[in-house]
Amino acid sequence: MRDRSLWIGFLLALGLGLGIALTQQQEVDPYKEAERQRELFRQTAGILPGELYAAQGEELFAQKRGPKNVSLEACDFGLGPGKLEGALTQLPRYFADTRRVEDLETRIVSCMVNLQGFRPQDIKRDDVKALTAYVASKSTEMPINVVPKTSQEIAMYNLGRELWYHRAGDRDMNCAICHDSYAGGKVRLSPVRSPRQGLSNEWPAYRFEADKLYTLQDRIAFCYESVGIHPPEFYSEPYIALSIYMLAEATKGKNKFTELPGFTR
Amino acid sequence: MKKRYWVGILATLLAGFTLSQQGPFQQRVQQAINSGGSKFAQTMKQDPDQALCSQYRDKLPPEQVGAFLERQRALIKYPANGKLMGDWKQGEALFTNPRKGNCYACHTGDPKEAGAGRMGPGLVGYGARGTSEAVVKYTYDKIYNAWATMPCSLMYRAGHHGILTPEETAHVTAFLLDPASPVNAKR
Ligand code: HEC
Ligand code: HEC
Repeated sequence: MRDRSLWIGFLLALGLGLGIALTQQQEVDPYKEAERQRELFRQTAGILPGELYAAQGEELFAQKRGPKNVSLEACDFGLGPGKLEGALTQLPRYFADTRRVEDLETRIVSCMVNLQGFRPQDIKRDDVKALTAYVASKSTEMPINVVPKTSQEIAMYNLGRELWYHRAGDRDMNCAICHDSYAGGKVRLSPVRSPRQGLSNEWPAYRFEADKLYTLQDRIAFCYESVGIHPPEFYSEPYIALSIYMLAEATKGKNKFTELPGFTR
Repeated sequence: MKKRYWVGILATLLAGFTLSQQGPFQQRVQQAINSGGSKFAQTMKQDPDQALCSQYRDKLPPEQVGAFLERQRALIKYPANGKLMGDWKQGEALFTNPRKGNCYACHTGDPKEAGAGRMGPGLVGYGARGTSEAVVKYTYDKIYNAWATMPCSLMYRAGHHGILTPEETAHVTAFLLDPASPVNAKR
């Protein structure tokens, strides 16, 4: 176990070194560049960083952990205990046991608390991220299928839509300015998409520019930060609300997930 | 008689109370925001016109436009020396700096700058409109408070929020209007 983690760390470091050495070019098409970086990883390390995170997550998932010393194999992501195939495609959704709408990340935390007996403050963010990568990998390239049905899901969707248009901060921004009014355009070199065009369909993803795994919550936090709004605390309602809003819209636009975990800039 | 007086006061108080209360949905939104932690809630606080823009999804009903523009115009401050056109070289640095103007995120300016955004209208050759008092003031006002001429514009109110001081706003104005600025270089 220990050896394996070291090995994973080494591969990630190697990949990053190469990545940096080969990105000195300027004005590259971000999509082509991501594709190139991905190939580079394949050829040099033989494995993608996202796959390494998912492998870490798989170990964590099967291991007996926490005060109750059980694995997460009984965790129900909405399709029945332990059913992971396609689980991400229908999240966020309402869960009767916790009586709340949860996204993949909050659901993992709920299972760590309720099944394994962890105290919320003892749960490591990195563990949740690796587990997210693992569970998401079982929905790779599947159609998104988030259709709010219960009153709780519809209420959460409406909350998300409201936050989407909420203008605040020194930069007077909201999500709609970049991702609706300007979808299809570019902010500096970055093309921006709208939810109907599939925004949020590549997360969790390895971002080679940051050399880190980003979950959807991490990605939303990054957008808030970039417009001068202090991001919400992880696992809080704003993330769940925005995610159900974006993914329900992506569903209306008949979008699929990309390869998961994604590989992006 | 006395009783009626009290009923009157109570009714007035009650009306005031309900008017100042948010509806249940707005309360729920606030609750969700608060769940994100105090720092998030702090930065998500809106001024009344930000709230209005959110409510109308950035498309204000026509009957509200006049009062909105007037409120925003009243927020504009000018440099103490009264000069709305400063030093274009200092303006260039402010225009480029992501922590200050960050204008390239949305506008082309100096055509040599790679990767300028196109969310706003292109500003290459902006100075062609001259440096009459009206043009200078329009440009200064736009940069200081974009909402004073366009309600709920995508463009943020850089001066109003203190991202640019009045003097800095004048420098950026010069960067766009000064004939010597690369924005207006002959091609
Ligand atoms: C100032 C512009 C801006 C604002 C405001 C903004 N974003 Fe973004 N967003 C971007 C850019 C640029 C990217 C990067 C696109 C890329 O290169 O992948 C991005 C990427 C994203 C992505 C991942 C990209 C994808 O295709 O899946 C998500 C999800 C996202 N934003 C959600 C949000 C949410 C939610 C908000 C509001 C809280 C928001 N954004 C506000 C500009 C913005
Ligand atoms: C988030 C995008 C965005 C940013 C950042 C931005 N602008 Fe704008 N700008 C716009 C849009 C959209 C318009 C057109 C609507 C309007 O007039 O408000 C505009 C309009 C303008 C105009 C008027 C153009 C004309 O032809 O009348 C000027 C001048 C201008 N911007 C300068 C600046 C400067 C200087 C900065 C940086 C301090 C800046 N902008 C930052 C989006 C932006």
